Amino acid sequence: MYTELHVRSAFSFLAGASLPEELASVCAEREMEAMAVLDRDGMYGAPRFYLAAKKINVRALIGAEVTSEEGWRYPLLVESRQGYQNVCRLITRMKLRAKKGEGQISREELENGASGLICLTGGEEGPLAHALASGGVEAATKCVQQLGEIFGSRNVYVELQRHHCRDEEVRNQRALEIARKLNLPILATNGVCYALPEQREVLDVFSCVRHHRTLATAGRLLARNAERHLKSTAEMQKLFDDLPEAIANTQFLAARLQFTLNDLGYQFPIYPVPDGRSQMQFLRDRTHDGMLSRYGADNERARKQIAHELDVIEKLDLAGYFLIVWDIIRFCARQNILVQGRGSAANSAVCYALGITAVDPVGMELLFERFLSEERGEWPDIDLDLPSGDQRERAIQYVYERYGKLGAAMTANVITYRGRSAAREIGKAFAFDVEVLNRLTSLVGAWEYKDANDTLERQFQDAGLDLQHPQIRKFCELCLRFQDLPRHLGQHSGGMVVCQGQLDAVVPLEPATMPGRVVVQWDKDDCADMGIVKVDLLGLGMMAVLEDSLKIIRDDYGEEVDLSRLPANDKWVYSTLQKADTVGMFQIESRAQMACLPRLKPTCFYDIVVQVAIIRPGPIVGQMVNPYLKRRQGREPANCLHPSLEQVLARTLGVPLFQEQLLRIAMIAAGFSGGEAEELRRAFGFKRSEKRMKEVEYKLRRGMEKNGIVGETQETIIRSITSFALYGFPESHAASFALLAYASAYLKCHYLAAFTAAMLNNQPMGFYQPPSLVTDAQRHGLRVRPIDITCSDWLCTLEKIDGKFAVRLGLRYVKGLRGDIGAEIVRQRAMHSFTSVDDLKRRVPRIQKEELAVLAEIGALNKLGNQREFHRRSALWQVERTARPSGPLYERSDDNGEDVFVESSLDDSGTASSPLAPMNAEQRLVADYRGTGMTVGPHPMSYHRAELQKMGVRCAAELARLPDGMHVRIAGGVIARQRPGTAKGFVFLSMEDETGIANAIISPQLFEKCHVVVVHQQFLLIEGQLQNQDNVVSVKSQRIEALTITHAPTTSHDFH
Amino acid sequence: MSFAAIHIPDFIVQAIVRSQPTLRGRAVAIVDGTPPLWSVVAANPAASQIGIELGMAKSQAAQFTAVEIWHRSVAQEKTAHEALLDLGWSVSPRVEDTAPDTIVVDLAGLGALFGSEEKIAHELATRGTGLGLSARVAVAATSIEVAVLAARGFPGVTLIGPGEEAKRLSGLPVHRLLPSFEILETLARWGVDTCGALAALPVIQLSERLGQEGVRLHALARGAFERSQVPAKPSVYFQEEMELDDSVEELESLSFLLGRLLDQLCERLAVRSLSARAIGMEFDLERFFEKDLQRSAHPGQQKLIPRKFEKILTLPVPMRDAKLLLKLVRLRLQSDPPPAAITKITMFAEPDRPRTTQRGLFLPASPEPEKLELTMARLANLVGEVNVGSPQLMDTHRPDAIRMERFRLAQVASASGRKKKLSASSFESAGKKSFRAHAKKPANGFRFFRPDVPARVELRDGLPARLFFNGLRGEVVAASGPWRTSGDWWQVPWDQAEWDVEVRFSTSSQKVKRSVNSFHSAKSANSRGLYLIYYDARQQGWFLRGSYD
Repeated sequence: MYTELHVRSAFSFLAGASLPEELASVCAEREMEAMAVLDRDGMYGAPRFYLAAKKINVRALIGAEVTSEEGWRYPLLVESRQGYQNVCRLITRMKLRAKKGEGQISREELENGASGLICLTGGEEGPLAHALASGGVEAATKCVQQLGEIFGSRNVYVELQRHHCRDEEVRNQRALEIARKLNLPILATNGVCYALPEQREVLDVFSCVRHHRTLATAGRLLARNAERHLKSTAEMQKLFDDLPEAIANTQFLAARLQFTLNDLGYQFPIYPVPDGRSQMQFLRDRTHDGMLSRYGADNERARKQIAHELDVIEKLDLAGYFLIVWDIIRFCARQNILVQGRGSAANSAVCYALGITAVDPVGMELLFERFLSEERGEWPDIDLDLPSGDQRERAIQYVYERYGKLGAAMTANVITYRGRSAAREIGKAFAFDVEVLNRLTSLVGAWEYKDANDTLERQFQDAGLDLQHPQIRKFCELCLRFQDLPRHLGQHSGGMVVCQGQLDAVVPLEPATMPGRVVVQWDKDDCADMGIVKVDLLGLGMMAVLEDSLKIIRDDYGEEVDLSRLPANDKWVYSTLQKADTVGMFQIESRAQMACLPRLKPTCFYDIVVQVAIIRPGPIVGQMVNPYLKRRQGREPANCLHPSLEQVLARTLGVPLFQEQLLRIAMIAAGFSGGEAEELRRAFGFKRSEKRMKEVEYKLRRGMEKNGIVGETQETIIRSITSFALYGFPESHAASFALLAYASAYLKCHYLAAFTAAMLNNQPMGFYQPPSLVTDAQRHGLRVRPIDITCSDWLCTLEKIDGKFAVRLGLRYVKGLRGDIGAEIVRQRAMHSFTSVDDLKRRVPRIQKEELAVLAEIGALNKLGNQREFHRRSALWQVERTARPSGPLYERSDDNGEDVFVESSLDDSGTASSPLAPMNAEQRLVADYRGTGMTVGPHPMSYHRAELQKMGVRCAAELARLPDGMHVRIAGGVIARQRPGTAKGFVFLSMEDETGIANAIISPQLFEKCHVVVVHQQFLLIEGQLQNQDNVVSVKSQRIEALTITHAPTTSHDFH
Repeated sequence: MSFAAIHIPDFIVQAIVRSQPTLRGRAVAIVDGTPPLWSVVAANPAASQIGIELGMAKSQAAQFTAVEIWHRSVAQEKTAHEALLDLGWSVSPRVEDTAPDTIVVDLAGLGALFGSEEKIAHELATRGTGLGLSARVAVAATSIEVAVLAARGFPGVTLIGPGEEAKRLSGLPVHRLLPSFEILETLARWGVDTCGALAALPVIQLSERLGQEGVRLHALARGAFERSQVPAKPSVYFQEEMELDDSVEELESLSFLLGRLLDQLCERLAVRSLSARAIGMEFDLERFFEKDLQRSAHPGQQKLIPRKFEKILTLPVPMRDAKLLLKLVRLRLQSDPPPAAITKITMFAEPDRPRTTQRGLFLPASPEPEKLELTMARLANLVGEVNVGSPQLMDTHRPDAIRMERFRLAQVASASGRKKKLSASSFESAGKKSFRAHAKKPANGFRFFRPDVPARVELRDGLPARLFFNGLRGEVVAASGPWRTSGDWWQVPWDQAEWDVEVRFSTSSQKVKRSVNSFHSAKSANSRGLYLIYYDARQQGWFLRGSYD
C-alpha cells in the first residue's frame, strides 16, 4: 500500500493547481488511507485539507516545504505536536523578517527547531538535487549527512520521484547510491502538484504568472509532462517495481506521523484579574454592576436570565473570553470610540449588561442558545462594530499592544481567482494585448443575477472573441477551471485572533501589507474550524457617520446628543419612515426597503427590527414578505402554524422571520433543547450536508409526532424550517442594526445639516452616491454651498446662513487634489486669507497646475478675483499663467540660491478680467461633475423640464399622485441599477430628477433587448405602466430609450 | 507663391477601396490587430453612420450586415501614399510629403502649363479620382499651413485668397491645428473650441500661458503662420515591375526577364552608389482553377484574391553584381519554383552601402562572402532551404526542437564572439542551470534521423520487445523508458513517450546487413544497435528518432 507524502496544494500559491478538498477526495478515490500536504512556506491549506480529509476518513498528514537561504526547499513532515509548533515558528520567523511573500530559513534556525520533524531530501527543488547539480555525488553525500546531523539520521528519508524524465532518473540513481552508503531509508513520492493530469495546464499558466512570461515564451519553465498528479498505489508500485522498499517505507513513515490538527494546543489568554479573584467571579461582579445600571435592581426576569447565562459561561470556561471583549469595549469607552456588538452576541443578557451590545435581549425575548449552548462545543462569536477608519485602527492596535506581536494577529482573507482576475491573468499568459484584456474584463458580468445567457462564453463573444478558435476555447475553459483557486493571501477586514502564550506555535504568522499588522495564515472560517477564538472588530461606515454627526452637533449646534438616550418613539422619525423618505438611513435606504416601508408602516422600534430583517434573501426566497405585509395590513388573518407556536410567532403575525423563531419552533414543536435547535440551524446552514440534514429532519419529525403535530402541519413546519434556515436573519442582529437605523433616521430628521455633512465626509458608503445625497438634502430644504478656496475645509463643514445651517462642501471632493495640499491650503488660509491665484500658488508652492485648474474650473477660486465679473474662466486664465514656470528672464533666486516664485510683470496678478467668455449653465454642470462628481446647483434635468413636459414626461414627485395602471413617461438620471439574485432576472432602476427618485422595473425580455442602453446610458426616458399600490410607486417599463441631457460625467451605483 | 494641399480623407479606408473598386459607395470598416483579436481601426462616414465605432471588435462589427469589413493593409496604404505623391509630382517637381494622407504642391510657375490656380486644383482632384483616390484640394495664396488646414477641414476644392485666411479658417475646430493633448485640454477648459476663438485671444497673454507653442497655434488659427516647403526626397525604395502579356512557365524564359530587371535595379543602385542587401521578388500567378485561388482572410468575405508567390533573397554582404545576383536567384527558384505560370513580376532591392572594407592580412583564410553565398544557395537547392544553416536549440521540452539559424561567416571568424552569442541565446531561461549541467556531462553521440523513421513495435508486458522498420526486424535486448514529454497544449500539442532500446537484428542477407549499416556509423556496423524510439500519442504511432553511437 502506498501513501503519498509529498503533495503541494493550490495554497502553495501558483505552485500547485488543486484545492486541498479536491486532493483529499481524489486520495480517497485512489483508496489511500493517508496523504501529506506540504505547501510552500506555509500551513495555508492545512485546515481545509484536514477537515475535508476527516470527512472522508483520510488521515491528513501535515508538513511544509521550507525555503532555505541557499535557495532549495526542505520538505518537512510533522511527526508530533512539537514538530508542528517548530515548523510554525520557523515559518513565522522567516516570514516576519522578510517582505510579504518572501523569506528564507538559515541552517542554524533549522537546527534549533528540528525536533518532531522528518526531512525528505526532496525532488528537483530539494537539497539533494541542488547539491548534486552543484558538486556531484560527493557534495550530495555531504548534504545528506548534514541533514542527518540536523534532524537525526532516523528522521531523514532519501526521496525518489519518477516522472519519466531521464535527468531525474540519473539523480535517483545517485540518490540510491548515497542512501546505501549512508544506510538511510528510501522513500517514493510523486511530488504531486495537482490531483488530476489535466490540471497540469493550470499549473503551466500559474508558472507563467509567477515568472511574468507568456505560454509562448516560458519554454522550459513549463512542466515537461503531466505526471505530477496523484497516482494510485498500483501506478506507484509499477513505477517503483525495482524498489519495493521505497513504496513500503511510505506506509511505515505515515504510521510514524501521529500528529493531526485535531490538537493544536491553543489556549485563549487569561484575563488578569485583580485581588486574586477568579476570572469567573470577576465576570459575575462586572455583570452584576452592569445589570443594575441596565435593568435596575428588581428585574427578576433579567436576573434569572443572567444567572443562567453565567452558569453556562462558567461550565464552558469562557469567562476569560467575555472579559477580554469587555476590556476592548472599556478601551473604546475611554477613548470615546463608538462601539456596538452585533450578531448573535445580542442574544446575551450578559453581553448587554457588560455594555458589549445595546439591545435588551430580555425585553425582546431573544434566544440565548442562538449565541451559546453547552451542546455545541464551540467558541462564541462576538462581532464589534466600530467607526470605520482611524478609530477602528486604534482599537486594533490596542489589542496588539495588549497581547503582544506574537499573541494577536488578524485573520487572513484568501484572495481567490474570480471571473475578471482569472480572465486577465490567463489572457496575459496567452499574450492577448492589453486593450483586449481590458475589454474582456470590463464585460465579464458582475450582476448578482445571472440569466441563462449570461455565461462566460457569452461574455467572451461580447468582447469580440471567437469561441470557434481553439486557443480562445482553451482560454475560456481555463477561466472556468481557475475559479476559486487561491491567488494570494490578504487581510480580513476585522477578524482578530488572540492566544495565551505564543500564537506563532499554533499557526504561522506573516506580515500584512499594512505596516504594523500581522496576519495568521488561515482565514476566519479556518480559525473557527480549528477552534481558535476570534473577535471581529468591524469597521462600519454608519458608526463613523454617527460619531461625526455627534461631534458636529456638539461643535456647531452646541447640543449634546446621547445615542443611548434618544427619544424612543419620535413621531417625525416614524412618519418619515412611513413615507419611505429614507435616503442615507442605515439599512433602510435601498430601493427594495423603500418599496416595503409604506406597506409595513413602522410605528415602533420592533417594526424597524422587522423592516431590517424582512428585505433579505431568506424571507424573500421563503416567500414570507407578502404574507407578513398582508397580515400587517389586515388583509389576511394572522394564523400561526400550530396553536402551540402562537407564543413564538405572534409578534411576527404568524410568519417566521428570524432564525430564533425557527429554533424556538423546533424546541416547542419537537422538544429540542436549545443546543439541539442550534445544531439544526447549522445543519441547514451554509455548509449543509445531505446526511446531516436527513438525520436532523428525522429527529425533528419524531419530536413533532410525539407532540401530536402530524400531517400537513408537520410538513409546513418542516418546509419553513428547511427553506429558511439557510438565509434567515438573527433577530438579535436585526435589532442591533435597527438601533443604528433608528439613530440615523433620528439624526437625519432633527439634524439634517450635521448628518449630511457626516455622510459626505465618510463616503464611499451606503446605497447612494454623494450627488444623490446632496440632491436629497436639498429637497429637504438644506442649502449646500459649493467648494470655495476661501472658506472650504478639507472635510465638509457647516455654515450658518440667515440663522439656518448650510453644508459647505469640503476640498476632499476636488478630484485629484492631494490630501496634504488640501491641508496646507487650510493651514495657510488660517494665517491669512488668499488674495489672488498668484498668492495661493506662492503660499502653497507644491500645488500643481492640474490641481489649480480643477479648483478654478469648479468655481472654487471665483472669490480670488477683485472684480465682480471674475468667473471660473477668469480663474482658469490666471491659473494657466501662474502655474507656468517662469522663463530665465523672470526668475530670481533668494539668498540661498533657491528659485522663488515671481509674479509676472507683463500682466495683471489676478485682478484683470480675462478675454475668455464665462461658462454657460451646461459648461458649469460639466465642470462640476468632472471636478467634484456632483453639482450643488440645479439638477441637470431641471434645465430641460419645459421640453420634457411637452413630451409628456412626468416628474418623480408627480407619480405618487397618479392612478395605478396609468400609462406614463418618466425620465431621469440613473442613480442605481440592480439585478438581485432573488428577482428572476428583473432589473430595478432608480432614476433621479429635480423632484425626487422614480423607480422603474425592467423585465428580463426587455432587458435583453435594451441591454446596452440600460447598462451604459446615464439618462433614460422610460415609458410604461404606473404601479401605485399602497403608496409604493414604480413604472413597469415597456419602452426605454437614451436621453441626451448633459455631457456631464454623472455616475450611478450599480449593484453587483 | 501659392500652394495646393491635397488631402485624402479616411485614408486607411481609401487605400483599400482604391484596389477594390466594387467597394465604392459602400459602408466599409477596416480592422487590424493580432488574430484572432481584430478591432476596427478605420471606417468611412457611411459605416460610422450605421453605428460602426473605432475600437469595436471585429465580431461586433460583423453584426452590422451592411458593412464591408476588410483587413488593414499597410502595403496598400504605402502604395496609395506613393500614388498620392505621384499625383503631386504629376504637376510639379516641388512636392512636400506632409503626412501619409496629405501632400503640398508648390504651384509657382505652373500657370503657363495648367492655367489658373482653380483649374489646377480641379485638375488635381480629377487626376486623384483617376488614381482611385477621392481627394480634397485646397489652394492658399500665402501659407502652406493654411492650405493644409483647409484641405483637411473643408470638402471638395477650396480656394483661399490673400487676406481671407483668418475668416475662412475661423469656423474650423481647434483640434485641426493638432495641438498637444495638454494644450487641447487647456483650450477646452477655456471654452476655446474654434480657430476663430483662439485667434481672438491676445497673443502676448497667450504666450505667457501656452508658451511658443501657443503663439504658433495662434498664428496658425489666424492663417498667419508661414514656413518653407520641404520638398520630398527621392524614394529609398527600389522597385521594378513587369506585367507579362503572356504568362511564363519555363525557368529559362523567366531568367531572361529577371536578368533584365536585375540589370535595371543594379544600374539604379550604381547611380546612387548603393548596393543591394536583399532582393525581393513577388510573382502574380496565373489563375487556372478555383482551387488555385485563396480566400480572403476575412471569413465573411467571399471575394477571391490573386495567388502570389514571393521570394526574398537576403545577401550576406551588399552586392550589385547583376550576373551573380541572377545566379543566386536562379538557384533559389530552382530549389523552390513557382507553382504556376507567372503573369506579373515585382522585384525590389533593399539598398545598402557597398562593402568597402578589405579583409585583414592575418585573418585565417575563408571563402569570399559572395562565393560562400553561392555555395550555400547551391546546398539549399540540393537539400532544401530549411535544412541549411547552424542548428540552434530552442527553449522548450519538445524533443528535437531546433531552428536553423542562417549561417554567418562573420560569427565563425570570431570564435569568442560566437561563444558570447551562444551563451546569451541558449541560457536565457531558468532552465539554464540544468542546461549547463547537462552540457558538462560526457554525452553519448546521437545520430538524428531526419525525418523520423516510422516503425512498428511489439510490446511485451508494456515494454518494447520487437522493432520493425525499413524492412528490418530486431529483438529488443534491453529497454529504458518511457521518458515522457508533452506540451504546447494551448496551440498544437505534442505528447510522446520515448524509449532507449538495444536491438539485435536478424542479419541473414547482405541486403539487410547493408540496410542496418546505413543506420549505424561505419565503426559500429554489426547486428546490434542502440536506438531511441518513441510512441507519438497524437499520431498514435511509433517512430525512430535516431541511434546512439
